[in-house]
Amino acid sequence: MTLAVEVAGKTDIGCVRKNNEDNFGYDSRYGIFVVCDGMGGQAAGEVASKMAVDTLLQYFRDLGRHGAHSNGNPTQTPSSDAESLAGAIRLANRTIHEAGTGQMGRLGMGSTIVAALVRGHSLAIGHVGDSRIYLIRQGAIQQLTQDHSLVMEQVRLGYITQEQADKSELQNVILRALGADVEVEADVEDLVAMPGDTLLMTSDGLTRHLRDDEILTMINGCRSLEEGCSRLIQAAKERGGDDNITCLLLRIVERPWYKNILRKFGSGGPQWQNSI
Amino acid sequence: MAKLYLKFDNSVLKEITMSQAPTTIGRLPDNTVQIDNLAVSGHHARITWENDHYEIEDLGSLNGTYVNSERVGKAKLRHCDMVKIGKHELEFKNEGPALFSAVAAKTGPAVAKLEATVMLDTRQAQEMHAGKAFYAPPAAMAAAATLAKERVGMLSVIEGKTDQEKYVLTSKMSMIGKSSMASIKLKGLFAPKSAALISKRENKYFIAPEHKVKLRINGEEVYSQRELGAGDVIEIGKMKAAFSFQD
Repeated sequence: MTLAVEVAGKTDIGCVRKNNEDNFGYDSRYGIFVVCDGMGGQAAGEVASKMAVDTLLQYFRDLGRHGAHSNGNPTQTPSSDAESLAGAIRLANRTIHEAGTGQMGRLGMGSTIVAALVRGHSLAIGHVGDSRIYLIRQGAIQQLTQDHSLVMEQVRLGYITQEQADKSELQNVILRALGADVEVEADVEDLVAMPGDTLLMTSDGLTRHLRDDEILTMINGCRSLEEGCSRLIQAAKERGGDDNITCLLLRIVERPWYKNILRKFGSGGPQWQNSI
Repeated sequence: MAKLYLKFDNSVLKEITMSQAPTTIGRLPDNTVQIDNLAVSGHHARITWENDHYEIEDLGSLNGTYVNSERVGKAKLRHCDMVKIGKHELEFKNEGPALFSAVAAKTGPAVAKLEATVMLDTRQAQEMHAGKAFYAPPAAMAAAATLAKERVGMLSVIEGKTDQEKYVLTSKMSMIGKSSMASIKLKGLFAPKSAALISKRENKYFIAPEHKVKLRINGEEVYSQRELGAGDVIEIGKMKAAFSFQD
């Protein structure tokens, strides 16, 4: 038996916005899963979030196929999955930053990112901004990332309470984003996955409307991951849906060896999805 | 005691307690107060203790250092002075107990809701209107302080073969098993690769057994995730270990 990942993703424009600046993508063959929430006017947000998703997928495809990233330094092999995730996020930052400077109308182009690299029992996560990743394990939900947002920073420092943060007008101010500067510091972590774990990767369009326990109940009540995504998005829209909503649901499952071979010949649905 | 409050758009980002050692302000990480913003020079300004008062000195910054809206090279700092560096402000407070009531009184009215996500950066800062953050009463500060006190769990092995006798559980997740990923390594031919996982969240520890692995806590079989309390004895196969909190 080996561990494998089942996945379903969905994005929705919401009820208020005229464009969808969120994006997501994954490639189960290399264990990489990404959700991004772009920002910046005149379609710059859409461009930025797409760039970030594309860069991460390409990075791990190259790493898997050639053992190194084409733009990366071949002599420097990352010591852990979290390290390579940090490297990929840095590359995405530079790509967006370069695209954003010197082009009219693209100033202020940026994106949040939340990424997971799942290989067997190893689960590495990384993020920049206020997109989140949740872990649902044996009936309990846990937020694995801490938002890089002004209000959450104030909560951590003890200046305001969580209740005040939920009502704050400054919820949309983030302290870190891809593309804002030449360098960015991503929070990365090496964790452990267990069979039966469910991971939810999401943009703030979902988490602003739903509490952790509501998310847990909804996911528990679903027969499939696809249904889970649809129900979460529907619930966020019913509460206003004032931003784009994206969710990517992952489930760690035990898969017998012969099914892995069948997978290689294309049985059991798509294994990857590029950015939209 | 003197304090500096780093603010952006009237919201406090950071509180810095000053000592008699110099406090440096700048964009680079080697500063005492790092302001990661392009409008701030690498080493922007320095505050020093001069016998009986604090003095701020601009270190040749590009955009200047302002004290109460006046550009300064070197200036004496007084209680409630507002130092401006780039788009950020540093409020200087040199007073004892009356501090928090003064801050709390400043709670401002709510402003028009902003639409899109913005990054706290000089460029986009202009788009932001005077947003006022809420200030917490001292009670909330105290509550936050107790929350921050970290408890670290430990496992002490009583019986069975493991690579160490004692494990300090500092990471968010620690695996028990024979796998190379396990931080609590079981030895022996029949030990499972991955037996259970201990996760830490909000100062609490939880143990989750792997499917089909027999886990006992205090002699009682456990099938799903459970919180660990001090003194709990965990049994997996031939391994027996006690959980406790570090002082």
